[in-house]
Amino acid sequence: MTLLLSLCLGAGPAVSPAPDFDRQIAPILIQRCLDCHSGPAPEAKLDLRRKLSPRAARRAVERVLDEQMPPGKPLPAHEQALLKRWLEAGAVWGTDPIDPFARTTTQRGGRDWWSLQPVRSPLVPTVSGADHPIDAFWLQRLHQAKLTPSPQADRRILIRRLSYDLIGLPPSPAEVEAFVKDTRPDAYERLVDRLLASPRYGERWARHWLDIARFGESDGFERDLPRLNAWPYRDWVVQALNADRPYDQFARAQLIGDLENEAEAAGFLVAGPHDIVLPVGETMRAAMRQDELEDIVGTVAQVFLGLTFHCARCHDHKFDPIPQSDYYRLASALAGVGHGERTLKNPKLEERKKQREQLLAQRDALEKPVRARLYAAGKVKPAQPTLAWDFTAGLAEMQNRATLVLHGGASRDLQGLHLNGKEAYAAVALKGTFKAKTFDVWLKLANLEQRGGGVISLQSADGNVFDALVFAEQQPRHWLAGSDHFRRTRPLGGPEETSRDTLRLTLTYSVDGTITLYRDGKPYGKSYRVAPLELRDPVLLLGLRHSPAVGNRLFAGTILKAQLYDRALSAEEVQGQGVVTSEQILAELDEPSRRTHAHLSQQIEQLQREIAAMEAAPPKLYTVQPINPGVTHLLIRGNVTSKADVIAPEVPSVLQALLEPTRLPPDAPESARRRALARWLTDGRNPLFARVIVNRLWHYHFGRGLVESPSDLGFNAGLPTHPELLDWLAAELPRQDWSLKAIHRLIVTSRVYRQASLPRAEALKQDADNRLLWRKSPVRLEAETLRDAMLAISDDLAPMLGGPPYQDFRSYFFKGTQYYDIVEETSNRRSLYRMWARGGRHPFLDTFDCPDPSASTPRRTVTTTPLQALALLNNARVLRQSERLAASLASQPDAIGTLLLRAYGRAPTERERALMEPFVQQHGLAALVRVVLNSAEFTQVD
Amino acid sequence: MMTRRELLGGLGGIALATLLAREQAGRAALTHHPAKAKRVIHICLCGGMSHIDSFDYKPALIKYHGKKLPSSEKPDTFFGQIGLMRQPDWTFRQRGQSGLWISDLFPHLATLADHLTLIRSMQAESANHTPATFQENSGFRFNGFPAMGAWLSYGLGAETDELPAFVVLPDARGYPAGGTINWSAGFLPARHQGVAFRTRGQPIDDLFPARPVPPDTEAASRELLATLDRAHAEQRQEDTLAARLRGYELAGKMQLAIPRVTDLSRESRRTQEAYGLSEPDTADFGRACLLARRLSEQGVRFVQLFSGGPFGSPRINWDGHENVQENHSNEARRIDRPVAALLRDLQQRGLWEETLVLFTTEFGRTPFTQAGATVVGTGRDHNHLGFSVWLAGAGLKPGLAYGNTDEIGWKSVEDVVTWPDFHATVLHLLGIDHEKLTFYHNGIQRRLTNVHGHVIKDILA
Repeated sequence: MTLLLSLCLGAGPAVSPAPDFDRQIAPILIQRCLDCHSGPAPEAKLDLRRKLSPRAARRAVERVLDEQMPPGKPLPAHEQALLKRWLEAGAVWGTDPIDPFARTTTQRGGRDWWSLQPVRSPLVPTVSGADHPIDAFWLQRLHQAKLTPSPQADRRILIRRLSYDLIGLPPSPAEVEAFVKDTRPDAYERLVDRLLASPRYGERWARHWLDIARFGESDGFERDLPRLNAWPYRDWVVQALNADRPYDQFARAQLIGDLENEAEAAGFLVAGPHDIVLPVGETMRAAMRQDELEDIVGTVAQVFLGLTFHCARCHDHKFDPIPQSDYYRLASALAGVGHGERTLKNPKLEERKKQREQLLAQRDALEKPVRARLYAAGKVKPAQPTLAWDFTAGLAEMQNRATLVLHGGASRDLQGLHLNGKEAYAAVALKGTFKAKTFDVWLKLANLEQRGGGVISLQSADGNVFDALVFAEQQPRHWLAGSDHFRRTRPLGGPEETSRDTLRLTLTYSVDGTITLYRDGKPYGKSYRVAPLELRDPVLLLGLRHSPAVGNRLFAGTILKAQLYDRALSAEEVQGQGVVTSEQILAELDEPSRRTHAHLSQQIEQLQREIAAMEAAPPKLYTVQPINPGVTHLLIRGNVTSKADVIAPEVPSVLQALLEPTRLPPDAPESARRRALARWLTDGRNPLFARVIVNRLWHYHFGRGLVESPSDLGFNAGLPTHPELLDWLAAELPRQDWSLKAIHRLIVTSRVYRQASLPRAEALKQDADNRLLWRKSPVRLEAETLRDAMLAISDDLAPMLGGPPYQDFRSYFFKGTQYYDIVEETSNRRSLYRMWARGGRHPFLDTFDCPDPSASTPRRTVTTTPLQALALLNNARVLRQSERLAASLASQPDAIGTLLLRAYGRAPTERERALMEPFVQQHGLAALVRVVLNSAEFTQVD
Repeated sequence: MMTRRELLGGLGGIALATLLAREQAGRAALTHHPAKAKRVIHICLCGGMSHIDSFDYKPALIKYHGKKLPSSEKPDTFFGQIGLMRQPDWTFRQRGQSGLWISDLFPHLATLADHLTLIRSMQAESANHTPATFQENSGFRFNGFPAMGAWLSYGLGAETDELPAFVVLPDARGYPAGGTINWSAGFLPARHQGVAFRTRGQPIDDLFPARPVPPDTEAASRELLATLDRAHAEQRQEDTLAARLRGYELAGKMQLAIPRVTDLSRESRRTQEAYGLSEPDTADFGRACLLARRLSEQGVRFVQLFSGGPFGSPRINWDGHENVQENHSNEARRIDRPVAALLRDLQQRGLWEETLVLFTTEFGRTPFTQAGATVVGTGRDHNHLGFSVWLAGAGLKPGLAYGNTDEIGWKSVEDVVTWPDFHATVLHLLGIDHEKLTFYHNGIQRRLTNVHGHVIKDILA
């Protein structure tokens, strides 16, 4: 013992101390090994988050030192040396399991990362010369860096800057002069208030929001079909901003608006691309759906949380404390979000329907006793089907003009139509429009084990859309009303099927979307209501769910008799009581009752016509079309065929310490999932929610945020330039009842915002990027603003707010793709109202860095290229506005002076006049306007 | 044209030091290692060319003709119809010194076998056209990611300021499905997106005034503009304003360069004939190939030619669901001779050593037919599990076939190559380390190769 101790002591000074596992070894494992050696299926079944025995540790470390691991990427020498020393010191493990996300290292952020901490409400520092809270934080930092602020910009520059910033348009000459001459002490604040109250404010800031919402008005992908009814979302954003909807409500509406009578707002979730070309194979479909979910999850997380959850779809986040399971928590919350067009509620229609119901009830009260009498006397005719096949009654088809075509070895005899469940089915194409309908079928099941076969189906010609009577597709041995992607399918809750004898199944679909199934005349489970399907010139199938005839879609059994009605049979009719005709009823009524009946019938008919007209052209909206969210699994490496743990729609672990859990089960209903998501996301205790939006506002006002990447406040974003200011603003937002206009007002009334933009050599040397804001950085007009400004200064800008978009392309469908050929555009509406088809981007706007509407763009790039020069010199719009403005200036006494006032907000200098006057004489006024529209001073804002 | 500060668009400072270093690594150094190729001509076949009828010789298919798929696995195909097996519709022969097997589908191209580097073991992630085409071009299956040409424009810029760095020559019969989405710059600055040249009228938008402007007015306007802008810039000393002035100068040069480069009448009759300009079948693609050579010669970094328009019937691309024999004959006839002429022309003009030619398709076709289970159909369905592409030109081992599919050409089994591998190899030939060409977007240093990709060393010279 003594000997050993002395040996150890003796050896002590010669070697460095054993490395600390948690501090030095765990970070190496996290960075170099855990990508493969952790999670649900670790490589070589070696989970390096868990404690290793010294022997196992030796084996692992030796492979690293032999440079076999990590494959192809040997560790740097100093890391190898650390591991070696750790091994030699006995390979003592620390925290078990390793929590890779607890602490921030030099390589990645942990849960202690600044943006994940609660928002503090820092005290405003006392700084001389700062009577505005923002200025206090700003000047303190500036002074620390020994920089001085720039003087206030002059009034002409201020009004031009403020006007472009808040409403995206230049001030008129009259507005400029009024502001310059306004001697009231609060002239500037009045100007701010006027601009914030302008409806143009909503248009301007909606454009910023649509950038991050990746708002496009076509599907993208192969078809790229136009979304003619996506614009109400754009209008909703404009109106919400103009009304200064509190930001937490603004966010909530975009996540769950469709559940709360504000379906336009939910257009946010489905503003991205959507592939409608679906392969037959389930695996391929599932992978496509996962890609789509990544777009939705990624956008929600970037926009409202400023975190990049989409990076954790296939593996734990490389830089932020977001384990892969966190991605699937959000994916589970949003799994029921489907793309689609909804028919909007038309209040007038609802009113008419109510009236009709009242009148129908009155008429029914008159008829009821008569009907009872007729039933009692047995004078009732059975209901007449639209189409009927009674295979047991011989080969003659009843009253059918359409003939069944048998496919895949289907055969018929006097026992019925025989279907083998593999390839056999029968089909017939029908003419006309079907909405309400009834399937009435007598059948025998070949076996009770089959899954998913369609007995009778009415489908679109291509088989993509259908309603069908289906056996055991979702649940073994249960009947259901099958439909495309289960859109109109709900569990009926009927009993398990046990019979292989002849059964009669009757499935009714009423006009209002009520679906009811009867088995042998008795209700099977509960009926339910969905948005009804309308099919034009459909195909009727027997024995097939929908075409093509593949997979589990085919029914095995015999159909004895099949009938189709173009209306929903009533329960009485299904039970074989037949219908009473109106002639029969009228004949039985006395004269006064007959007159009342006729009057009621006339009113009902009138209402029917109105209702039909309204239903034929319903207001439509592209928004969330909920789909069955199913149960979400973590997918190993994002692969749809490698399902791991079931994941519930829970608060992600990265925020669990601050927020209450949703406690929802993995199979929670779609609406509950999204409501829970909206609740925790917008919770005042979620520090990211407020930080992200105030930083975004700052970004748009200054051209750069306090954090430079507005949709990423994670590790890659680094630290804010002014952390306390960011937190003060984030705390101020809820104090101002989440009013965005209040934050705008705060920012633009600060001294930092009002600084001049001219560069100063000494400051430039120290802080060339102006990170500490020693001046206001100049900006170039964005593409849309440039176009809008050209329209505005020539008095051509249409004042109309909202409505369907203008199209600057010729759009046509050619061989499966919608094309958008750009044509010379003539609309005078603001560029916001352009139809933003993904395949129809505008070359002029693109040249000036208009982003791809398929990618959420929190920060536009600003480039300078020769193509911009060509566009501004030669584009038809520029030449047109040059001519129009020249024409309106021609009558002015001082055309040159007015032109520069409109374009630059100032009068020309002597030198400019001396250059311009002879130019106009020689080349005309339009040529001068073209030059001015091309000039740097017009396209830049100081 | 873009200053460093513009490139970063305001990104900068302490926190983003890492970003900055990477952006500079990706760009300022221009190349990470000496480049073998300076520029790329990419021929992109839309619809899915059948590898087993062209570049992947599978004698077993003849043996299995009319039989069921010799596998118990049920294929997960696009249309879900698994018909009986079908032999190739063209005869395969060994070509040239290399003895590469190429079928009679491409008789002209076959004479250049010794100059091609075939990859017969491609695998894609989707058997759905558009996601697969997106992956072929951008590495990702979704909209909104930059195309390969945009990445190269971003990474290397153009060799000339007078032409765009990334030019697209769509099929004369129509844009591919999805249209301009296919050559988007995604999240890269918009200037890197592909510029589609028209074959008739003005090649690009806004090259000249939309309405005529008298020449003296044009000249005086430019002069007045320059005077105003110089005065504005003098006060402010901003990089952007200097760049803007330069932009207007270059615009003038572009107005001269673009009409010159697109004027095919400057080529000799012999050259025009070689490209098939006088034959109706080959005139369209011949013009595109000849224009591609001219653009490439003038320093356009990435010229992309599309063979095939959108989908639907009658077919105008390679999507031979109904009848491969008929469909592929028509499509190949349009491009075979022009592509062969392009390769020869590049060789004759000494451009071969610095140009990389790519010939790709989004996926191949199935060895079994798309028909009823008991039928030998005439068409084939999509097959993303195995297909062929080729490369030619700078930095490659010519006359080589790399990788293999299984006995029947269904799945790639030996030396499997994915799109990220392919893209990594292309970037490598251009002197770029695919892991270092990155652009920060919403939380990720995005790459053309996502988080994948290995350079295929065995095909490099």
